[in-house]
Amino acid sequence: MIETLQWTTLAICALMAVARIPSTLRRENRSLFGIFASMTVAILLSIQGPYLIIDQALGGTNLANLLLRFVIFGAIFFMGLRISKGFGADSVYRLITGRTGLLVLLAVSVVMVALFFSMDTAGSSAGLTAISAKDARHFALVEYYGAAGRAYPAYVALALIPAMVRAVQDRLPILIRIAAGLLAVGGVAVALTLLFPLIPPSMGQIEFIINYTAVLCFVIGLALIWVAKLIRGRTGASRRTSTET
Amino acid sequence: MTLPAKAFQRWLQGIAPDASTADVCRVSGIKRTTLAQQLVRGKVSVSTVVSISRAYKINPVAALAGFDAYRALAGPPRPPTRNELVSQVSSADLLHALLARPAMDALRGAVAPALSPAPHATSVKNWVDAIDDGEVRHRVSASTGVAPQNYSAQLTANRLSPELAMATALAAGVGPAGGLVATGVITEEEAGWPPGARQAALDSLSDGELTALAGDRLQALGKVLRRQEQDQAQTERIWENLG
Repeated sequence: MIETLQWTTLAICALMAVARIPSTLRRENRSLFGIFASMTVAILLSIQGPYLIIDQALGGTNLANLLLRFVIFGAIFFMGLRISKGFGADSVYRLITGRTGLLVLLAVSVVMVALFFSMDTAGSSAGLTAISAKDARHFALVEYYGAAGRAYPAYVALALIPAMVRAVQDRLPILIRIAAGLLAVGGVAVALTLLFPLIPPSMGQIEFIINYTAVLCFVIGLALIWVAKLIRGRTGASRRTSTET
Repeated sequence: MTLPAKAFQRWLQGIAPDASTADVCRVSGIKRTTLAQQLVRGKVSVSTVVSISRAYKINPVAALAGFDAYRALAGPPRPPTRNELVSQVSSADLLHALLARPAMDALRGAVAPALSPAPHATSVKNWVDAIDDGEVRHRVSASTGVAPQNYSAQLTANRLSPELAMATALAAGVGPAGGLVATGVITEEEAGWPPGARQAALDSLSDGELTALAGDRLQALGKVLRRQEQDQAQTERIWENLG
């Protein structure tokens, strides 16, 4: 089931990235292509098979895992930036691109890299499970490393949630409101990843489900906004005769 | 409020004893599936009764008065108030009338075009405003159990269920059929409004009254348009960044 979820998500992300190529060539919101493409890479790197192949090519020291973390950071940064700008959430935009946001990103990155290199990471292992199993020290280091990797996406997601909840209630085209709802759910899912240490290992599947829910909600939400733009010509401007103030 | 199917069947028996459901639908232009569904659910809509009444040359108001929920419509029609009449003049007609007034330096002999029939784009809201003493919404809410925000939402969409339209008229102490005219369920003529009553009411407004009223209408319209423009701008911004 997890495998199906992973490959389906990969296919959807890749499809969206490919679908964005014409717009990208027309220089329309090129960062959207970047977001979809990096999400595709991130999903690819989180699946066992492709991970092992790519990591072997990088020397077999799990550098691919570190790469995966930074690809996610990049995707979430640009996503937060475009979404906050699009929805007119200026305070969120400042939280992400302002000094606080960049400091969080920098601090998390430094801690993550330091933790990574303080481990003996030889031997490709998706999710660093083999590294974690080495000894108690490595177990702890992998936990902290994972927590650091989840911290920045959660920061951006938490900043976005209130703006998305507001957008759902706004007088916007219905597809955009649904999209905002999906982005909010995705944000909640990312924020929930902060609680992963509390999930007992026997229920590890929950972590997968939360992760992929987040990715799917973000991708489908962004896709819906695009779809709403594509079909606006057909529906025409909404003519409402509202007078109540 | 919908009408009970049983009472509807009885009423239909009375006006078209030999007609089949198919006949009734054909004559009145109602879709057969629509009527069948309403009968199965036991809830017949007011517009169904109005359509059938018109088809059989019966005054819909009189027909509705035969149902318990609309008994208030029985008896001789109560004439509409001047405010009600003017509220059913569209903003465009109101402005035409204003421009033809001497106070606006109208060209000698300038004539406003004939009024377009009620209802108009904001007729429901304008009607409620015209009869509202400030407390009508609360009284309607109390008597029908409909939450004020749901009531407002209906007005915003220029809609009002026949039930609420009646309740509003009763709460304001005006003729019970006025709301049905404003919501377009029945025509002015069917409600017993004298021909030309709206024009006469409009003409009876002084230049000052008409100008102030036109100002109110324009202000409300401006608010709506500005809000739509803001919504549009927000949507455009989303597409600009994420489309």
